[in-house]
This record gives sequence, C-alpha cells and structure tokens, in this order.
Amino acid sequence: MSSTEVRAGRLGRGHGLARAAQVALTMWLVLTLNFLLPRLMPGDPLAELDNPQGLPTPLSPEARERIRSYYGLERPLGEQYRAYLTGLARGDLGWSLSYNAPVARVLAGRLRWTLALVGVATALYLALGVVLGAASAWRRGALLDRALLVGSAVSGSVPAFFLALLLILLLGVRLRWLPLGGAQSVALLGAPWPRRAADIARHMVLPVLALVLTNVGDVAYVARNALAQVLGEGFITVARAKGLPERALLWRHALPNALLPVVSLAALRLGAVVMGAMLVEVAFAYPGMGQAIYQASMARDYPLLQGAFLVTMLTTMGANLLADALYGALDPRLRGGR
Amino acid sequence: MRRGALALLVTLALVLLSGCAPSQPPPEGSPPAAGDELTPTAAAATTYVMAGDDYGYPSPFAFYSRGPGYIRMSYLFDTLVWKDADGVIPWLAERWALSDDGTAWTFELRPDVTWHDGQPLTAEDVAFSYTYFGERAAEGMVRWGWPIEHVVAAEASADGRTVTLHTAEPVAGLLSDLFGSLPIIPRHIWQGVAEPLKKLDAEAVIGSGPFILRAYDQAEGRYLYEANPRYFMGAPKVEQLALIRVQDAALALLVGDVHEASFSGSGIASVTELREQPGLAVIEGPSDWALKLYYNTTRTPFDRREVRQALALAIDRQALVTRAQLGGAVVASTGLLSPSSPWHAPNLPAYAHDAAAAQALLSAAGVTSLQTTLLTTPTYAREAELIRSDLAAVGITVEVRTADMATVDGLLNAGEFDLLVTGHGGTANPDMGHPSVPAVWENTEYTEVYEASLRAMDEGERRALVWRLQEIIAEELPVLPLWHPLMWEVYTPGGPTPFYTAGGVANGIPLAVNKLMFLDMP
Repeated sequence: MSSTEVRAGRLGRGHGLARAAQVALTMWLVLTLNFLLPRLMPGDPLAELDNPQGLPTPLSPEARERIRSYYGLERPLGEQYRAYLTGLARGDLGWSLSYNAPVARVLAGRLRWTLALVGVATALYLALGVVLGAASAWRRGALLDRALLVGSAVSGSVPAFFLALLLILLLGVRLRWLPLGGAQSVALLGAPWPRRAADIARHMVLPVLALVLTNVGDVAYVARNALAQVLGEGFITVARAKGLPERALLWRHALPNALLPVVSLAALRLGAVVMGAMLVEVAFAYPGMGQAIYQASMARDYPLLQGAFLVTMLTTMGANLLADALYGALDPRLRGGR
Repeated sequence: MRRGALALLVTLALVLLSGCAPSQPPPEGSPPAAGDELTPTAAAATTYVMAGDDYGYPSPFAFYSRGPGYIRMSYLFDTLVWKDADGVIPWLAERWALSDDGTAWTFELRPDVTWHDGQPLTAEDVAFSYTYFGERAAEGMVRWGWPIEHVVAAEASADGRTVTLHTAEPVAGLLSDLFGSLPIIPRHIWQGVAEPLKKLDAEAVIGSGPFILRAYDQAEGRYLYEANPRYFMGAPKVEQLALIRVQDAALALLVGDVHEASFSGSGIASVTELREQPGLAVIEGPSDWALKLYYNTTRTPFDRREVRQALALAIDRQALVTRAQLGGAVVASTGLLSPSSPWHAPNLPAYAHDAAAAQALLSAAGVTSLQTTLLTTPTYAREAELIRSDLAAVGITVEVRTADMATVDGLLNAGEFDLLVTGHGGTANPDMGHPSVPAVWENTEYTEVYEASLRAMDEGERRALVWRLQEIIAEELPVLPLWHPLMWEVYTPGGPTPFYTAGGVANGIPLAVNKLMFLDMP
C-alpha cells in the first residue's frame, strides 16, 4: 500500500508518462515471455494432436510435417514472434490448435461463465466477510469473535476441491437438491428464459458455495483486524466522547477507514479471477477459463495460451486500477495531487 | 449486532439455496419446456444422455484427433462400409469388388440415401470426398490419420450408382481403415472450400447420418443431436441424443443424469460398485490399448538385449495390474498386440517375474550396479514407483521423474530419456507401426516384415507376418509392454444397447458407442 501512497502523492504529468512507459514495458515483457515459454518447453502442439493414446492409427511422419507447415510451426521463431505481435495489435488472437477454433471464441465462451461464477462468489464473500469481521471486531472476545478465529483458519485451509467433493456428495448425491455439475441442463436448452435462468442459477449454487466458504474466512479475518486497530485510534475515542451513536461510529467512521486492507485483498483475488476458480470449476465440470488454460498448457496450444495469458494480464491490471480508484474513494488523503 | 450478522448469514444461505427447491432426478425422457425452439416435437421427445466431454465441432475436419471425436462425427456422417460386432458390413455401398491386380475397388451405392438437406447422395459425392480429402491432406489440413494417400484416383460411373477407387499398389486393411472410416461429404457444400478446418458453420455438419446436429457448445462440452427421420436404415430409436460433460461419471449414472458412461483400468472400483445397482447394466470390452516401458537402446547398458530382458524379468507386471490398476487390467502381451486381438501371436516369451534370473542375466552381462532415470506422466506414477522398487531389488537405482504428457512425448520422440513409461491405443490393429520411436530403436528385419505386412492382401500371409513382428518385439524388447486396461460400458437397460465393435469402430476406436446401437438392425 505504501507504493499506492507514493504513486497517488506524485501524480504529475511527467509521472503519468513514466507510468505509461512502465506499463508498456511490463506488457511487452509479459507478452514476450508468454510467447517464448511454451516454445522453450519440450513437446509441441502436434505432440498432443497426434498423441498415439487417442489415435487408432498414428499420423505418418509426412502427414505430421504437412500439418506443421500448415500451422506455420516450422517458421523461424523471429517470424512467428512478429506474426504474434502484429496479430495482437490487430486484435486477432489467432487460431487455437487443440480446440480448432478462433482463440477469441474459445476464451469468450468460457470467460462469461467464469466471470459470472467468480463475480457472484466474490461479491458474496466480500460482503459476508466484512459484516462478519465488523461484528467480530466490535465485540472482541465474544463468542462470534472466537468462532471467527477458528472458522477463518478452517475456511482458509480446507482445499476448495475437497470441499467441492463434500458438497457434491451431500447436496447433490445424498439429498439430490442440486445438480452435480455443469452450467445448465441439456433438457432445458430451448426453454423460455425464466426457466433457463433459474436452471443456470441452480447450477451455480454449489460452486459459489464452495468459493464463498473457502474465501470468506480470510476476508473476515483481515476486516476484523483492520477494524480492531482503527477502533483503538484517537479519533474514535474523540468521536465517542462527542457522544456519537455507536452505530454511526462503527459504520460511518471506523469501517471506511478499515476497508483499505480488504480492498487490497479483493484486488489480489480479482486479479487471479481467471485462474482462481480452476479447481472448483474442474470439480463441478463448470465450463470456465481455468480448465481451458490448464488444457491449453498441457497441449502446448501456443495461440490459446497467449490469448489466455493476455486475458489474465488484462484482468490483473484492471483489478489493480480498480483498487487504486477505490483507495481514493475510501481515503481522501490518497486522492490525486498534493 | 451479533443478531444482525446472524440474520444476514441466514438470509444469504436462503438466497443461495432458493434456486433449488423443486428438484427431481433428471431427465429420463423428461419433456423439455413448451415453446422450445430447439425441439419442435419436444412434448414427446426421448433424450438419451451419455457422459462425454468436448471433442470439437463434429464436422469431418474439425473434430479433435481422438476416438470420441471421431464417434461424434460418425453420428452425422456415413462411410462406404461400416463394422458391427462381427466385422465389416455394407453401408452406403451395398456391395463391392476388388480387381484381380488388387488395385481397383468398385463400390455399388444404395439408391435411397439423401443428405440432411434433402439432396440425394450420389457416386459423384463419393468420388469427390476421396479426391477432396486427398488434396486437403496433402496441404496438411487433415488431422485424423486416414491412409488416404493410397487412393490415387476416384471415378464415378455415369449412372451415379458406382464408384471406383484406385490405389498405386495393393494395400492391406483399406476396407476397414479407409473405406470403413472416411466420411462421405456432400460435394455441393464442400466444393470450393479451401480451408475445411476453418469451416465451422451449420453446413459443415450436413451429412447423411442417423442424427442431425442441433446444438454444440465447446465451453460446456455438450452435444445435442436429433434423430434423422429419413435415415436410409430407418429413424434412430431415440428422438434426441445428448452427450454432456460430467466430472464423475459414476455419480452421474447413480443420480440418473446420464444413461451411459465408459470406464477403464482403475475405474474398476466404480464399475464394481455400479454392478450392484439395480437398473444399471455392465458390458466388458476388449483391451485395445497398452502401457509400455520404453528403453533407450542408444544408451548403455540398454543397448544390450540381455539387459532389457533382465529388466523385463525383474519387473513384476502382475503387481502393476493388481496394485496400480486395482485389477482393472491384464498383463500385456510381450508382442504388444493385446490378447483380445484376432492378430495376437501365441506362445511368445512371457518374462514372468523372476528376480533371481534377472540378477543372473545382469551379472553375466557385467552390469553390477546401475543408476538410471525413469520418466513418466503423473497418471502412471504408481507404476513408476513399483518399477523403481522392483529394480532396486536387483541392484538398479532408478530415479523417477514425472512431467506433463506433452513434455514426455517430446522427450520420447527426441530420444532424450533412459527409461520412459507411456502408452497408446491400436493394439488390436494388425497395422503395428513402430513399437518404439525411430530415435532410439531401429531394426532392419522389423522394418522389412512390417512393410511386407502392409502389402499382404492374403489374410493368412498377413497373419504370419504380423506374428513375426510380435516375435521380434518380444525377443528384442525395444519396449516392454506392461498392461492392457480392461474397459467397461455401464448403461441403463431398456433403451439403446451399447456393444463393442470387431477391431474397434472405424479404424480401431475401442469404444462401445457405435452408431448402430441407435438403429433397429435386421
């Protein structure tokens, strides 16, 4: 957070340019690494394509060479790199080798599900975490506070995958209240939208629950500690001495000051939104990004990996910018200029 | 405040669970909603649901190069001949003949076949298909391994009923591997399409097959097909067919989400449990796959045959089956072709577990202590550990390394390993290919016999050659075959009945979901 303060303190035009250059350099470095890394690893996209485990008759070496050449994989690295950068500049993410579809389409098909799933879950665990943390800090040492200390440790350490399996067995198999996985029922594909929406929501319940339960503890714990610290500060004592009602004291004065660490935490989590839900997506066969990225790296699908990485980078940077904006809104001292 | 927080918690829990009130186990023919734009006849539609995943857009070019990808395409497209449980049967072609010199195949087509768009399927379409696939393959746009390069010319008769396909020389196995496998595509759609891999529109899935594609979703790994009412073999038994992605096929079968799912190898644990369930049936299939240990015969001491044989004796392959695969496999034939294949050679050396004999062979070869590495994927880490401890018992220290499949395949093809464990399918097919990789093993006799086996049109002659190939592998041991997995299909009786196809579907796909299961066959 100190860097934010420094950054916010010196927002001159020169600094703006320097910052833009810094962002551009970072982007270039990341994009270049993203281009090189998969190509430096052993194995190539065709190793997956004509993987003998899946083929009754393997491709002949000649056929393999022809396919390589069709995809431009035999071209020198420099040439591939130029094609990659110019493609990106045009907004063309390329053609996924393993999915045989435009990379943009492959990613978009999954991004909407991941954003919906992680968006709902994040909103829920942030709200719930802040409320729990506030309640806990307000009555330090009370039952809720002690339960929260234990609960946040448990919540943070139960693997999401394990929790997902428990939820599936209990609510999906034993009680049969909720579907085991997937994003919607095949039987309702052509149904009117209210029924489809209800169906999609039903499919989202268990994965959201798994994400909320594994994340709410951290948020509550951070919120509690930050608030506890703020509650001990002088201005709170002054406010209390002035006779402010306790409710206003907590919600209007203490909580906004305690939210900065929560916002930082949320920004970190949101930056990882694309990959963060991977295990949960896999456990619930949910059609999200995480699974696609994992498969792309297993298959050395260079164009798809590059596209996925671009999306990850953009969400990370977007989350950071959002956090910066929120800092300013929460704490006037951090607003631009001196 | 505490009460407020608790109230909020309860409210949130209620919100979370609110969507789930009216739940019934899906979807045994559960009628889709009225006003369903996908299925106009929805009220009475029966949907058969199989566990699956995304295997690509099921056009003849775009499906992923995996058995299940081909199967999804085969529900939409037909071939000249097809296979049932016993072998090759007439399909688009009613009858066929091979010229005396073995290079011209003449097929006589059924007269009553139409494409999904209503146009008739003619000999012109067949000739076009072979020409078009041949040309696109030469440009690197065909990803499935059809042996299309053998067909040098295709001509349709003037009456549109017969087509003749010419090869440069006699080629064995073409009937099932090419004519029973290459989809016939409509000329009026594909003519002029330069990049078939990138044709992903609705036209690209217009075939002549028993089903018509209604919906495909790549992200969700879901396929929805509708019965083709005008199919030349009669409309399929189910009105709709769906393949959906499930994380745990056994649970999906238990709660009735799917009617059918495949299992193999250590999936035996699930199958054993599912067998006990009323309302489910199980069939066991052949083992058309092999896990094998590759030796790098360009590195000492694996360049010596007796050392490779000593390792074969030292490794308890039965223990790999019972401990790593929980009994869901059989010890592999040392000649690589699985015992369930009609081409399997009898009386090959078994290399039964014998640590003392292994030790003696190693001592005779002067190998007293050895440090080496074994590379594999995490999937076979248990096998690797068992091999490590077996070899430790004869004084060989093995360091196990695991990596993802692309890395392992890359290092294998580059010959950069000592020992390596991975596997492949096609072990029922007489086209044996290379048992290892050229970078680490070449054998003149093997290459000659293999080439001859591809040209042997007489089945007896071909069998003798394929047996010889297996003997060479079992003697020379460029690889040590470890196990062949067992396979099962678990399904809900009363509807379509899955079965295993002779030699695998098309050119050898060992799955029980041949499209014939949806048809009323005479």
